[in-house]
Amino acid sequence: MDAFLQGLAMVFNAQTMLVIVAAAIFGLFVGAIPGLTATMAVALLVPITFYMDATPAIAAIVATSAMAIFAGDIPGTYLNIPGTPASAAYVGESHRLAQQGRARETLGTNLVCSVIGGLFGTLVLVFVSPSLAEVALNFSSFEYFWLALLGLSCSIFIAIGSRLKAFLSLMVGLLLSTVGLDMMSGAPRFTFGVPDLMAGINFIPVMIGMFALNEIMMFYASRDESRSVPVMAKDSVFRETPRHLRRYWRNVLRGSSLGTLIGALPGAGADIAAWIAYALGKSRSKQKAKYGTGHIEGIVDASSANNSGISGAWVPALVFGIPGDTITAIVIGVLYMKGMNPGPTIFMEGGGQVYALFTVFFVANLIMLPLGYLAIRASKVFILTPRKILMPVILMFCIVGAFAINNAVTDIWIMLIIGMAAYVLARNDFPMAPAILGLVLGGTLENSFMSSMLKTNGDLLAFFERPISAGLGALVILVWLLPTLLKGYRRLRPSKTGVPHDTP
Amino acid sequence: MRDFLLGLVFAIGGGVIVAVARTYPTMPTLQFGPSLFPTIIGIGMILGGVLLTLTSLTAWRAALGDSRGVVGRFDWRGLALSLVPCALVVFYILTAEILGAMICMAVSMLALMLMRGARLWLAVIVALVVSGTIYWLFSRYLLIPLPEGLLLSQRLPFSSLSLAG
Repeated sequence: MDAFLQGLAMVFNAQTMLVIVAAAIFGLFVGAIPGLTATMAVALLVPITFYMDATPAIAAIVATSAMAIFAGDIPGTYLNIPGTPASAAYVGESHRLAQQGRARETLGTNLVCSVIGGLFGTLVLVFVSPSLAEVALNFSSFEYFWLALLGLSCSIFIAIGSRLKAFLSLMVGLLLSTVGLDMMSGAPRFTFGVPDLMAGINFIPVMIGMFALNEIMMFYASRDESRSVPVMAKDSVFRETPRHLRRYWRNVLRGSSLGTLIGALPGAGADIAAWIAYALGKSRSKQKAKYGTGHIEGIVDASSANNSGISGAWVPALVFGIPGDTITAIVIGVLYMKGMNPGPTIFMEGGGQVYALFTVFFVANLIMLPLGYLAIRASKVFILTPRKILMPVILMFCIVGAFAINNAVTDIWIMLIIGMAAYVLARNDFPMAPAILGLVLGGTLENSFMSSMLKTNGDLLAFFERPISAGLGALVILVWLLPTLLKGYRRLRPSKTGVPHDTP
Repeated sequence: MRDFLLGLVFAIGGGVIVAVARTYPTMPTLQFGPSLFPTIIGIGMILGGVLLTLTSLTAWRAALGDSRGVVGRFDWRGLALSLVPCALVVFYILTAEILGAMICMAVSMLALMLMRGARLWLAVIVALVVSGTIYWLFSRYLLIPLPEGLLLSQRLPFSSLSLAG
């Protein structure tokens, strides 16, 4: 009980609450401006959170990401341009509703579904992760090796688009993770004689390069500044919401649970959760024909799913140190910097830290309601902020932010080089999530493999000798074989419905 | 076409990585050591790169059969414009020690805004206010030693040096 109260006190104080509100407003802006993603918001925020205590730092990240995912729907509804990739799945639907004069109603329902989805994911986090952590306490290097490999495999097989490109993207991330002194032998690898590289590549500059500089380059490469004219909105924000919720409560629950699950899978984040929830909602709906003409049902499913995905991604990140999406990949870096090593022990250590963490999730999701309401009423501000003014400002934050982590110019170079490489790869449809996971999990993968091998003198069969380890190993092999099995299954039973699997 | 080239880059890069990894020492008790993972990654890149090159060739041939002129004109202007922000990052790295972070940032932002046709007065105001705010925020509040530059050294009311002293 003491720890619980202590945890509450860590959140309900002026500083942390102020940080949450400020971060939510920041997330609102970044999310509402097309071309700026929630991951970019978090990557730009990290250099600032670096100088805070652990609780406000995490609070800032949770509030920013949750708010950015909702805010992505605002330009989607008014302009038919998704603010973040997580809104892309249902942007057509919400824009059509807006054209019928129901923009605020749509966004209001959207907001409430986002809050419910976020809270649902949080409840799962609160109730599932401590018991998972107890299981994880028995894990040794064998299990962690399989877990890391499972995470990396998922990131390839869940990726939208070419699996080959996802694989190559993963290789880039893994390669970056090997830079620096080898943990086992102390031999320097790929350091090119640069002393700053001995400790390895810090992944905050990498994130800033991959998600911010890359987007800035995309903006300057594209020619048209032309903006579509936003539709007018005069309707009420929340009046119709209770009716929609009563009618589609099943969709909210389904979207939320699906979103949490997909969020928890490494490599798949809020955007994929929204796509799958929308597709599933459509296939299970009684009014399939209405989809695509401005039907609120699809929005309910998908907007619950993307926000619950954000919370769900924290479960594997906190319990195993395996990030569920690109945002939690950044979080893991922040946690290490704050001395809160992710892993089961985080739940066993005394003090209010864990309760504070859980409380932060509830507060950050609930605060979306009032702030989101204001944002919907004042949507014009976000929509009309010109990107030609904003992008240069963001570039400055990239430079200063990359420098601020270690006060090292090398980090600005890293940000630049990675940003340019990411630009080339992203322009050619290489997904970025596998690269980030490779960078974050590469160290875990290699170190757990090497220490297991040292324990058993190089006996590879040891990876299948412990029961949990063997189970996880089997799961990894199953994930690898899954595409082949599915292909065989489809060939045996040609589907009549023709489920689309070429979602962009 | 691009996939073809990228595939080649990956394959050649993978080869280089394997070659470099061969030079790393091995552990005394095991047959492998720090070279194992880079070697696996290098081999992965070679295989993936070759596969990408081959699949792009097949796709290319199929596209050529369908219609002519599939390969559009390369957007050189877009490429040049996308490199401007990168050039400005290099500009910052090279000149911040002399000009100071604040002036560097203001100049870079002004250039970028004018390039996309922002109004002059707006661009000047935003560049000055934002560079001042970032400098103040980072050097005063977060205590990051952003370069002051030779021009403004010791003259800023909120410089990090004056704080230390």
